Amino acid sequence: MKKFVSATCIAACSSALLLAASVSTVNAADWPTGDVRLVVPYAPGGTTDVLSRRVADLLKDALDTNVIVENRPGAGSTVGTGRLARGGRDADHTLLMASPGHTIGAAIYPDLAYDPVEDFVFIQNIIDIPNVMVVPASSPYQTVVEFIEAAQDKNMAFSHSGVGSSIHMSGELFKTLTGSQMTAVPFAGSGAALPALLGGDVDVSFENMPTVYSHIKSGDLRALAVTSAERSPYLPEVPTLSEIGEHNLDQFVTTAWFGLIAHNSFPEEGYEAMQTALDEVMERQEFLDFAEQLGAQPGQVEGEEFKQFVIDDLARWEEVAQQAGISQ
Amino acid sequence: MENLTEVLQLFLSIDNFIAIALGVVIGVTVGSIPGLTATMAVALALPFTFSMQPVAAILLLVGIYKGGMYGGSITAILIRTPGSPASACTLLDGYPMAQQGNAKKALKAALFSSVIADFISNIALIFFAAYLAKIALNFGAPEFFWLICFSLTIIISLASGSMVKGLLAALLGILLSLVGLDSVFGSQRLTFGNYNLMDSISFIPLLIGLFAIPEIIEFYRKKVIPHIKAKASGVGMTLAELKRCMKSIVRGSLIGVIIGAIPGTGATAAAFISYSDARRRSPNKANFGKGEVEGVAAAEAGNNGVAGATLIPLLSLGIPGDVITAIILGAFMVHGLTPGPIMFQENLSLIYALFLGIMFSSLILLVVGNAAIKYFSLIADIPKSILFPIVLMFCVYGAYAVNNMTFDIWLMLAFGVVGYLFNRTGIPAAPFLIGFILGPMFEDNLRRSLLISNGDMSIFVRGPITWFFIAITFGSIAFAVFRFFKDRNTKLNADKLTNET
Repeated sequence: MKKFVSATCIAACSSALLLAASVSTVNAADWPTGDVRLVVPYAPGGTTDVLSRRVADLLKDALDTNVIVENRPGAGSTVGTGRLARGGRDADHTLLMASPGHTIGAAIYPDLAYDPVEDFVFIQNIIDIPNVMVVPASSPYQTVVEFIEAAQDKNMAFSHSGVGSSIHMSGELFKTLTGSQMTAVPFAGSGAALPALLGGDVDVSFENMPTVYSHIKSGDLRALAVTSAERSPYLPEVPTLSEIGEHNLDQFVTTAWFGLIAHNSFPEEGYEAMQTALDEVMERQEFLDFAEQLGAQPGQVEGEEFKQFVIDDLARWEEVAQQAGISQ
Repeated sequence: MENLTEVLQLFLSIDNFIAIALGVVIGVTVGSIPGLTATMAVALALPFTFSMQPVAAILLLVGIYKGGMYGGSITAILIRTPGSPASACTLLDGYPMAQQGNAKKALKAALFSSVIADFISNIALIFFAAYLAKIALNFGAPEFFWLICFSLTIIISLASGSMVKGLLAALLGILLSLVGLDSVFGSQRLTFGNYNLMDSISFIPLLIGLFAIPEIIEFYRKKVIPHIKAKASGVGMTLAELKRCMKSIVRGSLIGVIIGAIPGTGATAAAFISYSDARRRSPNKANFGKGEVEGVAAAEAGNNGVAGATLIPLLSLGIPGDVITAIILGAFMVHGLTPGPIMFQENLSLIYALFLGIMFSSLILLVVGNAAIKYFSLIADIPKSILFPIVLMFCVYGAYAVNNMTFDIWLMLAFGVVGYLFNRTGIPAAPFLIGFILGPMFEDNLRRSLLISNGDMSIFVRGPITWFFIAITFGSIAFAVFRFFKDRNTKLNADKLTNET
């Protein structure tokens, strides 16, 4: 009897081992093993959502599996991101579309239940959208320097799409670096903020490129500068803030970046499969056309470089949040 | 002429007709399920439009939007659960009508006024877009502030019965609307450290809780099946009734058009403003809230009037007025089109083809709506003992589906208790809702104005639009006070007369 029990034990153990080995073989050769979830930490309809749905659509072909977009909005992007950070059984097939909200959210709410860097794997930066410093057509300021000089004596109102948005934080960063007198005027989204800018109720804004591009082209708004490191191919005549070279603006480089991240338990083979798939997606003409429509450029960094980029972004916004008094 | 041929070529494609019809059917279906909003449906449909022709793609999304706007009224009328926030106002009279056995009449009234309002809104979009867009640009924070002040005076006319209870409900609504993040400083207000409350109290769980749950509690408390006078599906709306409501429908549609053309106000506010305007003017004032067909018509005219008009700032200025138009803007961009003044120069034929499609969508709404009513109105005949458990299931699902948050289910149940207490104590729900919707707009525009002007109060009287709204706000208050005293005198005199005899 004893023999039988031990034989059964050995058989059971060895079959379990075999099973485990076969599972890992399947994983290594073939990720994904099921549907992939792409969490959007914002409500449907925003830039993050539209971009995610476009990317999910293209990823579906590249990965040859369903990519299901799931909106988990709330408290900036911290509710959806917090859920991903908790992991769970689907964590090996769940991605999240991170954006400046990931770092700005962490800068504004220091008591978050997750670590914005250590709890995640950073897969790839997909797209960078520059912000544009725009003034109404009726504004007397033709250059950034003229604007800054006027803002030393006169208080300027800048519109933004909500506390902690990249538009808001860019304004605060500009204020801190140049020592300008500026008041932030919040609106519920860029759509509501635009009329105030077009109508001249506010003096300036640091809007996302796609929101203001057509208004710049039609002459209703004047672009004074773009916030990216290099000039945008869509507005080649408009200087970058960093090239102005005065009033500490050489440090001013920000973009609205979007990239895919996952829980830090995300499997190595998934990470590799994702990078291959994303390389394919980002070369597709549909993707490049979409990026062009957003006035955006395909992302530049992946893996460790992407992680370092997020660490630097976080450090910068923490400082701005503290100086602007918007830290909780 | 060449243009006309091009427009017709773009429009007369079978794809466009399928897209509109499919859009309206999806919209009506999704809109009628509590918790599933037209916004979600439009967002989910977006990826499918990537591979479609631009005109068909946009028309599919517009069809969903319009269908959803009407669809919300179906469950509002039948089971007191608004399918979408904009139909919250429709249930004030729609549900009592259904209870009186006039479900079909209410549904038809909602459909006819929706279609008429939709049509008027489309006409405004096609012929007055440029003019209305200009008005919208002159509508800054101080103008908005006074518009909201005027709208808040509506509470006076909606506080049927007791003014004190009405004001109490409104203040409670405003108090609850304060929960969440401060719009200027981003600090937490009244969240008690609960991160679920950081994005403020979610509107749909609040609506479902406030309206649907008390009915269910009441039913199980009494354990009696409410008496239904006629076969619940009843008869449709007569031509005479439609004629009687016509003035309110047209006025409501125009209110919707104005509100829709101004980015950031929304269909829910338009419905309430239209409803209270109709109530104020109607000879059947006393019947409002108790099953008045004109109330249903006015509310639906208000919210559907918004649908076409929100495309005005989108197409002429490139400004999305709400989330749905923001998604539609995304769809335009995916197809290489940038709404705004430039599109009118570069893609005029496409815009006219879209306009034709949008007009056609009103017709489709009428057909699809009629078919929907035929089957949906049968719901009113289902015994309550079978219907209510299903409704409760939908309530739970609806509350959860908005944000995928379990917390919202608890929130919905808590508001169910609040709604029940309101019913028991005779506190009206309408002023509570108006306080909740308009409270944050009041605060935000007040603070925004002062931030823009650097604290200078003169910004509030800066131009003709502010003067106009100041005049009608105070006029509205003066009229209410006058009526209050007049009613009291009439009542006192009547009492006196009774005593003497």
